[in-house]
Amino acid sequence: MSNTFKSDPIEFKPTAALPAPKSTVGPIAWVRENLFPSISNTLITLFIVFILISLIPGVIDWMFISANWSGTNQEACVSDGACWVFVKAWSQQFFYGSYPTDQLWRVNLSLILLFAVIILSFTLPASFRLRVSIPLFLVLPFVCIAILDGRLVGLDFVNTDLWGGFSLNVLMAAAAIIVAFPFSFLWALGRRSNMPLARSISVIFIEFFRGVPVLALFFMGSVMLPLFFAEGTQVDKLVRVWIVLIFFMSGYMAEVFRGGFQAIPSGQYEAADSVGLSYWQKTLLIILPQVIKVSMPNILATFVMLFKNTVFLLIIGIPEVLQLLLTALSNSNWLGGHAVEGYVFVGVIFWVCCFSMSLLSNKIERDLDTDKRD
Amino acid sequence: MKMIKKISLVTIGMAGAALSMTANAGTLDDVKARGALSCGVSTGLAGFSQKDEKGAWSGLDVDVCRAVAAAVLGDASKVQYKPLTAKERFTALQSGEIDVLSRNTTWTHTRDTSLGLNFAGVVYYDGTGFMVSKKLGVKSATELDGANACIQAGTSTELAISDYFREKKISYKAVTFDTSDQTRAGFESGRCDFLTSDQSQLYALRIGLADPAGAVVLPEVISKEPLGPVVRQGDDQWFNIVKWSVNAMIEGEEQGVTAANVDDKLANGKPGNKRLLGGEGELGKNLGLNPDWAFQVIKQVGNYSESFERNVGQGSPLKISRGLNALWKDGGILYSPAMR
Repeated sequence: MSNTFKSDPIEFKPTAALPAPKSTVGPIAWVRENLFPSISNTLITLFIVFILISLIPGVIDWMFISANWSGTNQEACVSDGACWVFVKAWSQQFFYGSYPTDQLWRVNLSLILLFAVIILSFTLPASFRLRVSIPLFLVLPFVCIAILDGRLVGLDFVNTDLWGGFSLNVLMAAAAIIVAFPFSFLWALGRRSNMPLARSISVIFIEFFRGVPVLALFFMGSVMLPLFFAEGTQVDKLVRVWIVLIFFMSGYMAEVFRGGFQAIPSGQYEAADSVGLSYWQKTLLIILPQVIKVSMPNILATFVMLFKNTVFLLIIGIPEVLQLLLTALSNSNWLGGHAVEGYVFVGVIFWVCCFSMSLLSNKIERDLDTDKRD
Repeated sequence: MKMIKKISLVTIGMAGAALSMTANAGTLDDVKARGALSCGVSTGLAGFSQKDEKGAWSGLDVDVCRAVAAAVLGDASKVQYKPLTAKERFTALQSGEIDVLSRNTTWTHTRDTSLGLNFAGVVYYDGTGFMVSKKLGVKSATELDGANACIQAGTSTELAISDYFREKKISYKAVTFDTSDQTRAGFESGRCDFLTSDQSQLYALRIGLADPAGAVVLPEVISKEPLGPVVRQGDDQWFNIVKWSVNAMIEGEEQGVTAANVDDKLANGKPGNKRLLGGEGELGKNLGLNPDWAFQVIKQVGNYSESFERNVGQGSPLKISRGLNALWKDGGILYSPAMR
């Protein structure tokens, strides 16, 4: 068997590709393709450019060039631009409310704890990440309240009337979200349950808190609830509102979780049943981790929504940041009409926070996206 | 349906029971035990209850809280301020969350009789007024025929001016805005010829104009808005304390007792001064307070004139003139019953 076929190997040598036509690369081509591809798009581009050119210089001039930066009172605002002195003078109020100045470290400490726990929940080794970060999250609101209130941990007592500002918005939203999390999970389970009583209670609860506008809920918390408490059982206004926020949030999140439960293939349940896991073992060990993964984008969207909803607290007089802005605007030493500066400031800090949250949620989604990678 | 009715009856009954229970509580003892007065104020109203950059409260309404705290606790700073919106103010009082409501609240028949509350006097006589541009050359509201009016939507002002102009058979066109800032901007841009609101607010709005001197507040006041502190019904001792704390400030002005000369008046003043300040008589004892209750009020808060000028009058940016709020002997209607 030696008649092997022999010949010189032929190597495949591709011809070098020609450069793309000049008309399809480079900045000019990009501009033509993206900004002026057709007559209608050209018109739209020109219109937008015109609007930007006519608006931006004025805005920049007002915000930066002819703005007033230094000083401590309204008289310092002499030029035509924005009076940032107003925001500067009131910045402590806007961030911390009337919390005593020498005790501000307690507010800062609470915020640092919040961010530390959030960062830990990403950076801890995966083997025990959940086991550590979940208990940390659950005790966090109560630790923060103890620090801010002071009585339990032996610090000076600070009445909740003095809490306020943007730190209150952040802590209120965080405390409501964290406590609502386990509740909403239970409501979602209840809604999927076969037990008629558990199911109907869950459905009524969820639909009530999803169906009633959050403003109406706040009014109920601030105006109606106190009438039902017996004398001597004063429940703090902030606590009432916190409870309302928790209920509201858990109603919404329950529906998010329900969507997550429905996305889990029934094979997962059957597999868990076939190895003899109990109901809670199955739910907590097999189903819940997958539900959280699937629902993560919606959970974070709900977080952002609740965080922004905290400014609605102004209509019941809670001194959150927007309420304090209105209070500042009505001070007789600052009656010069600084509303625009104030709203721009509040808008910017909310935008920064919400935008970083959505960046964070993108990262979480990418990290969790383990099974659909092509 | 029947079930719902039953439930609602039960809840109303519960609310009523809760109300009557709070009404009988001894507010004075509660305040003393707490060591601080819980006072409902506005979330922000120039000159009446306002917060400064440091978080300190001031204003005419706030001074009522401070006066009551000075009379009861001997320290005007021992006040917990509860900023309240207009909607929740009465509930906060009814539920016992606050001891006094001092939040530019108009004393009306309905509120006094149907809410389980008592008005403990008047600290500011307000009323709906008009602000016009100086260029218009108008001297009185009756010359405003056919003019456009800037009004803030949903306030009692709307009703007051519609009544007034109908009665005078003058036509006007209402341009309504949502907030006071927008109302002011509308007036400034010339959308309307005059702006109407409570007089005390007109002065605050005028400061915010680009050219405050270019606008004048007309002398007409077309509705009665007596503003005063409110307490729960059923605790007469507390009602008396709040009422007479306010009266002590008014009486202090009438007798010429000021924060500066109060020590001297107590030692060397006329018998009336000494009776007011606790050097003689039993005014304090009858209220269940220390003999120096009014002394503390005037020493720490000042008399009515001092408080008025500091917060809304010539000593403040608002520069409101006393008008109706002058003493009875100076042409106003402010009058304290006899201190004896």
